[in-house]
Formats: sequence, C-alpha cells, structure tokens
Amino acid sequence: MSHEEHGHEYVPEIATARDGKKYEVQGWQGDFYGGKLGFWLFMLTEVMMFGAMFLTLTYYFSLHHDAFIEASSEFSVLLGGTNTVVLLISALTMGLGLLKMRAGDVKGAKLMIYATMILAVVFLAIKGVEWTEDYHEGIFLGLPALQAGNPDSRSFGEILFFGMYFTMTGLHGFHIIIGIGLMIWLLKRINAGKVTTEHHILHFNIALYWDLVHLIWVFVFPYFYMIGAGHGH
Amino acid sequence: MDINTYKAQKAKYYKVLVGLLLLTTLTFVQPHLFLENATFAIQLMIGAVKAWLIVMYYMHLKGETLIGWTVAFAIALVVIFFATVITDVNHFQFKDSSYITEQHASAGEHVQHHEE
Repeated sequence: MSHEEHGHEYVPEIATARDGKKYEVQGWQGDFYGGKLGFWLFMLTEVMMFGAMFLTLTYYFSLHHDAFIEASSEFSVLLGGTNTVVLLISALTMGLGLLKMRAGDVKGAKLMIYATMILAVVFLAIKGVEWTEDYHEGIFLGLPALQAGNPDSRSFGEILFFGMYFTMTGLHGFHIIIGIGLMIWLLKRINAGKVTTEHHILHFNIALYWDLVHLIWVFVFPYFYMIGAGHGH
Repeated sequence: MDINTYKAQKAKYYKVLVGLLLLTTLTFVQPHLFLENATFAIQLMIGAVKAWLIVMYYMHLKGETLIGWTVAFAIALVVIFFATVITDVNHFQFKDSSYITEQHASAGEHVQHHEE
C-alpha cells in the first residue's frame, strides 16, 4: 500500500528567493523525536500540577496526622486495590498495543486499545461505586459532615483529608475520561489510515499519557487508602 | 520491527508487569505485616520503585539521554520547590488566622486568654 493511500503524502512548501530561485522549506512532519520531546514537556507540567497537590497533602498530613490516619482507615482497600490492579493491567494492554502497531499488527493494536478502554471504564465504574457509598455515608463535598461549624462536622483534619481525596481522585478521574476520549480519537485516526506502523507518534504519545495517568495513581492510592490501612475501622 | 525484537520487547513488558504486581502486593500487606509505624514512608518508597519501573520501561525513558536529563531537571525543580515550601511551613507564623489549622478553637483560646 502506498503512502498516498494512507493519506501521508508530503507536499513540500516552496519559498522563492529575491533572485527568483526556488527552495524547499524544511518540513518537520516526520519528526518523531520532536513529537516525543514535546509531549514529555507537557507531561512535566502535569507533574508540577499533581506535585503541588501532593505537597499540600503532605503538609496537611504533618499538621493533622491522627485525623488523616483515622479518615484513611474508612476507605475500602479492596475497591481501591482492585482499581490499582485494573490500571496496572491497562498500562500493559496499552503498551502491548503500541508494540503491535510498531510490529505491523494494526488489528492487534486496535484490539489492545479497545481492551484498555474497557479497563478504563471499569476503573471509573468502581470509582463511581466508591463515591456513591461515601455519599450515602454522608461523606461528600458540600454535605454537613465536611462543613466546619455544625453538629455533624467531622474533625478539622478529616475535613481537609476528604476534601483533598475528592479533589485529587476527581482530577485523576477526569484524566481517565480524557484518556478514553484520546483512545477513541486514536482509533478513528488508525481507521482513517493516518496512524500507521510508519507514522505512529500519536499512538506513542497517547500511550505515554496513559502511563502518566497510571503513574499518578501509584501515589494517589497509598496516600489515601494505605496510610490508615493497618488501623482498622 | 522484526519478530525477534517484538518478542523480546513483549517479554520485557510482562517481566515489568510481574515486578509491578509483586510491589503492589507488598503495598497491600505491608501495613499488616511489618514496619507498621513507618507505613507512610514505606508506601512512598514502594511507590517510587514502581514509578521508576513505569518510567524506565513502559514510558521508554531507558536509553533516552536528552529527554532523561530534561525529566531529571524538572523533577529536581519539584524537589527544590518541595524542600523550600517544607522549610518555610516548618516556621509557620499564621496558625491563628489560617484555614488549614483549627483557627476557630485556637482563635477562641487566644481571645479568652486576653480576656483573662
């Protein structure tokens, strides 16, 4: 199959000098390394954003140590742990998909992307179950237990803990939703012949994004679920 | 990519998966089995090892010189930022008026103290 059938035909831009001579303008369409470096720079901004949140969380933890342990012990390690394993396996399927794409197995690559999307939906569903349970127990943003100054209020440290929990897992969940959207877009680009074995920078970068989402969870999980795990509730 | 490279890369993916699953298991059992008083530090250390495996092998940073140094530089900036803030907040001077400490109780005590 030719490049033209893939839609990757490169039409160079021609610049004309004062003396009338024509020169081809350097094109960067095939710059795989540049695309990769640019995406890493974007991911570093994500590290700064979540890093600031982890710093805040650590500081609050130092101020309200016992309240954080107490609040953490209320979470279900089973549900959080299941989500950890789900994300772990999704990172594998995403990686194998990229590997298959690079090896020329486009159909296999698409299957792996579908598998990753299903695992992402499973993650969101489990997170939804957790948040619903929390809501029914009176723990949710805006409910009296998480508002200071009323008879149902939790301790000050617990309010901070749960506030950070919903903020950080919510932002992480938002990244998962964005990831599913990116995978749908990737599948459309593959079907349109725009992402191929020879031109797979989009697939590579979306796989990087998914690994970043996994990486953030690697720290979110122990911070919220495990620090109080040995204290039983 | 030839078939041998593909097989070698695939095997590496599975090896890393096994490593990550073992470390995840360690995460689950640690608070109940050992160093219960240092759970926070141990959990973060396990997280750091998992992060290293993910970044090096799943994110293909192993062997990447320029991107590797870029990432190292950015992480160093984050660490300096963390250290600066932690040093600063260790000398926190506004506990009575802040929203991250129990300002109502301490402010009340403060007022009572003055009234006495």
